[in-house]
Amino acid sequence: MPRRIRRRILATLLRREIYRFARLLKQTVVPSLVTTLLFILVFGVSLGGHIREISGWSYIQYILPGLAALGVITNAYANTSTSLYAARFDRSIENWLTVPISPLQFVVALISGGVLRAVLVGVLTILIAVVVVDLPVQSPLLTFAWMVLMAVIFASLGIVSGLRAESWDSLATMTNFVLTPGIYLGGVFYSVGMLPEPWQTISYGNPIFYCIDGIRGTVLGTADLPLWHSGAVVVATAIGMFSLCWWLFQRGYRLVK
Amino acid sequence: MGQAIGIYGLIKKFNGLTAVNDVSLEIPEGEFFGLLGPNGAGKTTLISCLVGLARPTDGRVEIDGVDVSQNPLRTKPCIGFVPQEVNVEYFFPIDRILEFQGGYFGLPIRASRARAEALLRQFGLWERRDVQYFRLSGGMKRRLMIVRALMGEPRVLILDEPTAGVDVAQRRELWDLLRQLRAQGVTILLTTHYIDEAEALCDRVGIIDRGQIVELDAPRTLIHRYCSRRVVIDLAHPVAPEALRDIPGTWEVTQNGYRLLARPPAGDHRLGELTEALMRQLMCEPAQRICDLQIEGGDLEEVFVQVTGRGIDAAAHP
Ligand SMILES: Nc1ncnc2c1ncn2[C@@H]1O[C@H](COP(=O)(O)OP(=O)(O)OP(=O)(O)O)[C@@H](O)[C@H]1O
Ligand SMILES: [Mg+2]
Repeated sequence: MPRRIRRRILATLLRREIYRFARLLKQTVVPSLVTTLLFILVFGVSLGGHIREISGWSYIQYILPGLAALGVITNAYANTSTSLYAARFDRSIENWLTVPISPLQFVVALISGGVLRAVLVGVLTILIAVVVVDLPVQSPLLTFAWMVLMAVIFASLGIVSGLRAESWDSLATMTNFVLTPGIYLGGVFYSVGMLPEPWQTISYGNPIFYCIDGIRGTVLGTADLPLWHSGAVVVATAIGMFSLCWWLFQRGYRLVK
Repeated sequence: MGQAIGIYGLIKKFNGLTAVNDVSLEIPEGEFFGLLGPNGAGKTTLISCLVGLARPTDGRVEIDGVDVSQNPLRTKPCIGFVPQEVNVEYFFPIDRILEFQGGYFGLPIRASRARAEALLRQFGLWERRDVQYFRLSGGMKRRLMIVRALMGEPRVLILDEPTAGVDVAQRRELWDLLRQLRAQGVTILLTTHYIDEAEALCDRVGIIDRGQIVELDAPRTLIHRYCSRRVVIDLAHPVAPEALRDIPGTWEVTQNGYRLLARPPAGDHRLGELTEALMRQLMCEPAQRICDLQIEGGDLEEVFVQVTGRGIDAAAHP
């Protein structure tokens, strides 16, 4: 197939993904931003004065990079998992399987859709924080790249869930019982260094910890681990998850009878 | 001419259940082929193997001589597919659905929109272009499925019961459209429960039962092979069998002489000669009048019953 045609096919898939979440901005992007504003209200305005500074940052400043990560992770996951599960639900996935789309195009389009929505939320969160609580951003490009990597990981996870789910409930189960605890216990609200053992060691086994610690490093310049360490974990996980999705689509996992 | 569709020793099993059992079938370019069979015969499964929705357990499936499992990106661009069960994004407006579909075949956005508009107009859906799919009526939904299948300008069109739930006028229109496409050289594979549809449209039909093709030929040929047609003549005045005794052939007088039945001789399907001879003899009696005349039997329905041992409706409601 000529390259020009392949490009158009990929572009169409992407437009479809964007169209899908853009139609529902109120359900997709806006809630995350409202959450951020609520946190700023609670921890910045009302409680802020009563909580100690961490590493020289006010509490709300300290947790904001983590809140951006929270938005990135949940939106990336939500976008691919619902897009794919809905496509299985109304069977439109079967239409995709009969048109000339390659497994790689599929995976790239789905993940890109998730990344776009997630990074949009992440960037808006940081912008709000810059304006409202004077958050400094040490290396914006690195922060951006970090968001993209995190989004790739959780968009891929969303694909796996979307393929495996047997009901809308099972998607929510993953969010409520795996992602949310993983994020909350991954150091959004505290430095893992403040935890007693064995919780500190256990936290190092949580992949989300590396995402959050790293993004805080890129924004504040303060982190529990050196950036190259969390960066290596995040890059490797992203590559691994992407490859897993590609492999699943190539095999037609849960797609081809 | 090459084979548009080639199926060679195809077997598809679902955990022990053999849905398609060693089917071989070639459909030459430009042919209109019908697949008939009772519920659960394996029609949809066979088609799924052609379009990439199912992987054959054994055997080979080709489109234009290209193996479907080995080179799907070369076979899929040729195919337009209307599935038995609707598979559309429920909440998308239908012009979007079509525009995206064109894009999946590599059409630029403008060309895709233009093609969608032309097809929507042709199928009487243009006024409803910005309506979400799920708000269409059942028949409109089926029509949209056909429109969508045409977005990629297919050379092979595969339709799995496209007219279920479409009203009579629309069905006729669809027939005309399919004939036009055929005239343009599109190869068509159709499954249907409407036997008149297969008879009216198809160059050849295959009857599939329990995963196997049990008969395969032109509708006329099958009808001649399986059907016992007869002429039924209802008379105004009774006729005595003796009056007709000089006429050779298979005929009988029933209903106290008011009815005459004529069957064609074995190995032949023509009823003309026998009917003509009988009529001549009847008309020798000046008062005699023919009240009614019917030809019974002789359609694919009967072939179907003969071949599968049940009617297609009986099969549909076991
Ligand atoms: N995904 C599946 N898993 C298990 N069995 C299946 C699956 N799909 C089809 N079958 C079985 O395979 C057989 C053939 O089904 P298929 O759908 O091909 O029949 P069909 O000829 O299309 O029938 P209909 O006229 O009702 O559409 C049936 O016994 C069916 O139950
Ligand atoms: Mg079927």
